Amino acid sequence: MKKNRSGLVMLGIVVLLYLVLGLLYPDKTVAALGESFGVLKMIIPILLLVFFLMALLNAYIDEKAISRHMGEESGVKGWLLALFGGILSHGPGYVWYPLLQNLREQGAKERLIVAFIYARAIKIPWIPLMITYFGWTFTLVYTFWMVVGAWLQGIVAQRLLRK
Amino acid sequence: MQQKLKTATVGTAKTLKMIAPMLLAVIGLIGLFKTYITPEMLRTLFNGSALHDMLVGVGFGGISVGQPFLSYIIGGELLKEGASFYGVTAFILAFVTLGVVQLPMEFSIFGFRFALVRNLLSLLFAFILAFLIAFCVRMFA
Repeated sequence: MKKNRSGLVMLGIVVLLYLVLGLLYPDKTVAALGESFGVLKMIIPILLLVFFLMALLNAYIDEKAISRHMGEESGVKGWLLALFGGILSHGPGYVWYPLLQNLREQGAKERLIVAFIYARAIKIPWIPLMITYFGWTFTLVYTFWMVVGAWLQGIVAQRLLRK
Repeated sequence: MQQKLKTATVGTAKTLKMIAPMLLAVIGLIGLFKTYITPEMLRTLFNGSALHDMLVGVGFGGISVGQPFLSYIIGGELLKEGASFYGVTAFILAFVTLGVVQLPMEFSIFGFRFALVRNLLSLLFAFILAFLIAFCVRMFA
């Protein structure tokens, strides 16, 4: 609910901005509105696809199962669970963080927790939008390095935290 | 199966409704940005040198808040206006992995040391990965 309100406030500010600028520079502001409609028209179909993918993930993925396994496993299996779990996880950080801290207290490896959080930056449902703006090459390269980055960050973080 | 599809469709509509105000606000701002900010003005911010552009990108991305997709839209438009891949990639990475606003929450849940190490590493990684990603994209493209 809180997020929703911040969106409304932001929208209010933008509408106000348009009104003020519309009075000062009518031509330019109408052009700006046209540009906005252009962007909106382009991304609406992609957004519908994105939200549908999200909702599907929501219906099929059980976050409790992911986190339970991550607490138990280590080695290659642990890494795979952390990386893929992070990629597939959805929902805001404040839902996941307490769950992850709980695992940490129960003995889950810190490198896996760090990798999981970093891998959350990859969002499968948003990939169509990324391809639209940046193309296939960028999206593949980006995703590849993010996974490598999550893995490396986990290793470095564990070293630093052990000291 | 059908039940799950139905739930997914309802979920889609709900998410769209929740996100709509912020989405419209950002798109409205992009329209203004495209008409009022000229490529020349943008070039004073992103001047084309990889390091400079990455610093600007990480700076803006780190303090921005919002759903990751907003960074794709903003980044994509910046790219169209002539910003470099280095700057735009750094902006997206910082936007999705760093959250200055979220820091207090992270400190309180994970403890100071863990949260500090994680966020400092994410800051460093934003530069390293932005460089690697932009470099590889230029090589392949």
